[in-house]
Amino acid sequence: MSNLAIGLLGVVVLLVVMLLRVPIGVSLALIGTCGYAAIDGWRKALTVIGSVPFELASAYSLSVVPLFILMGAVASRAGMSRELFDAANAVFSGFRGALTNATIGACAAFGAICGSSIATAATFSKVAIPEMRRHGYEEGLAAGCVASAGTLGILIPPSVILAIYSLVAEQSLSKLFAAALIPGLLLAALYIVTIVIIARLKPAWTPKVPAMPLAQRLRAGTGMWKLVLLFFLAVVGIYLGWFSPTEAAAVAAFAAIVIGFATRALSWSALADAFLDTVFSTAMLFFIIVGAFIFSRFIVLTRLPNELAAWIDAVGLSPLMIVAAVILLYFLLGTFLEEVSTILITVPVVLPLMTSIGYDGIWFGIFVTVMATIGLISPPVGLTVFVIQSQNPDIPAAKIYRGTLPFLAADFVLVALLVAFPALALWLPAALKM
Amino acid sequence: MHLAARLFGTLAAVFLAAMMLLTVADVVLRAFFNYPIQGMLELIELGLACTIFLALPAVFLRDEHLVVDVIDHLTRPSVVRILDLAGALTSLGVLVVMAWQMVPLARAMHEFGDVTSDLSIPRIWYWVPVLLGVVASALATLVFIVRWRRRG
Repeated sequence: MSNLAIGLLGVVVLLVVMLLRVPIGVSLALIGTCGYAAIDGWRKALTVIGSVPFELASAYSLSVVPLFILMGAVASRAGMSRELFDAANAVFSGFRGALTNATIGACAAFGAICGSSIATAATFSKVAIPEMRRHGYEEGLAAGCVASAGTLGILIPPSVILAIYSLVAEQSLSKLFAAALIPGLLLAALYIVTIVIIARLKPAWTPKVPAMPLAQRLRAGTGMWKLVLLFFLAVVGIYLGWFSPTEAAAVAAFAAIVIGFATRALSWSALADAFLDTVFSTAMLFFIIVGAFIFSRFIVLTRLPNELAAWIDAVGLSPLMIVAAVILLYFLLGTFLEEVSTILITVPVVLPLMTSIGYDGIWFGIFVTVMATIGLISPPVGLTVFVIQSQNPDIPAAKIYRGTLPFLAADFVLVALLVAFPALALWLPAALKM
Repeated sequence: MHLAARLFGTLAAVFLAAMMLLTVADVVLRAFFNYPIQGMLELIELGLACTIFLALPAVFLRDEHLVVDVIDHLTRPSVVRILDLAGALTSLGVLVVMAWQMVPLARAMHEFGDVTSDLSIPRIWYWVPVLLGVVASALATLVFIVRWRRRG
């Protein structure tokens, strides 16, 4: 069998093994090792499985991941999501669909201190959905809005997915954060436009809530200070040259803890829970990263990416068709595969292909992250939808998926804009002279 | 929560807290006293290895892995249960091979006596949590398999 055939077979077997419920990290390590052995013999393959965990365990650039997760975990336990929702509500108060817009605004803001969409959706599901239902909002829309707005967490910096992408793709994390900001804000704006359209078409779904008095609006608005401070430390500090990304993550996580205790919003037991959650999710992610690195050693050995690029060249596909095929690939994978795994598995193959047709590694990082936001809400495996459903068991999953459809359309508008205008992602890092 | 899982999680959390506090201390000392901590990179890397690999057995023990669960909707729960066992056995196999392959690499590094450049930390220390974590994860998977039988 040719190496290429072994590579393709490896990808197929990997998908089958994962569909049989073998943990994703284990599947990747297993198929990666066996595939490597099939090409280069067991001796070298076994050295790979023995050495990769050690090489990654002490990779300094990975240390941002647990620290950013910790900041988000502390912020949600310290009730910051509630304050943000109140503040956003004060801004939109009086408009039709104010609560849905407030959810989008608050999730976008929370995304600026939390790098995870699951955490963002879980937090706002508790805060925003009961409030919207109390005011008579259609529950599918309410849940779909939180599921979709939650995905902003991975796009608006800091972002755990971008941190992991920067590691596999060997791209600068500070550049990626800068590149993600404008697309992230644009996506939030597109979501708000979506809601304005829904409110026009189905006024009954978004009943008007009486406006708050100005004094109350101002008071709620001041709840934003914690967020502004944390975003300043976690993201702006990197560009002022104060911190490296790891230092920014450590300082911001520490500041979140101090603010939590100073405002009496955080207890010792809540802090302990935040730490435990963080180490467990870090270890879980890390094991998938180990598996993905083993698998990508195998893929590199098969020369699958090069062969794929050569094939596309021979067939004469236009760049736009390649982009369309890549979008389709991520959409399909996103329907059943979890997002970090999708990125880890595909980047070694797809990134060389995209750079060969003139796209840049930073742009591609933003592109796959936007595709990941789509995967997070697309059935049958939409992780943010699952999170919301587990917290609101009385809303059927099908209804939540239906609620996310208009936002899915907004996601695709962003994808089209990114493809048509790569500057949306690339302008800010260039302007910051990085 | 399983006591052992909590213990491993707490130990990992202590290292994470140490990483955070050390980094904050370094930033403050550097900014205000122009006195950065020596060998930060090496300390953070050691802390990271300890955090991740101490928490890993807890992930196996709590069966918190990400799996693709499309099949759950297509088949009976009894089939899912058997697939779970097969998944755990596969995990056990992978972890055992991983640990087995790590030992000679760690031993070679120990015999070579390599140390880090700034703080002269013996490199073997970086291997200790990794090796310990993978072996403990294999044991945790074994516990999961034994419990699976008892639950059935």
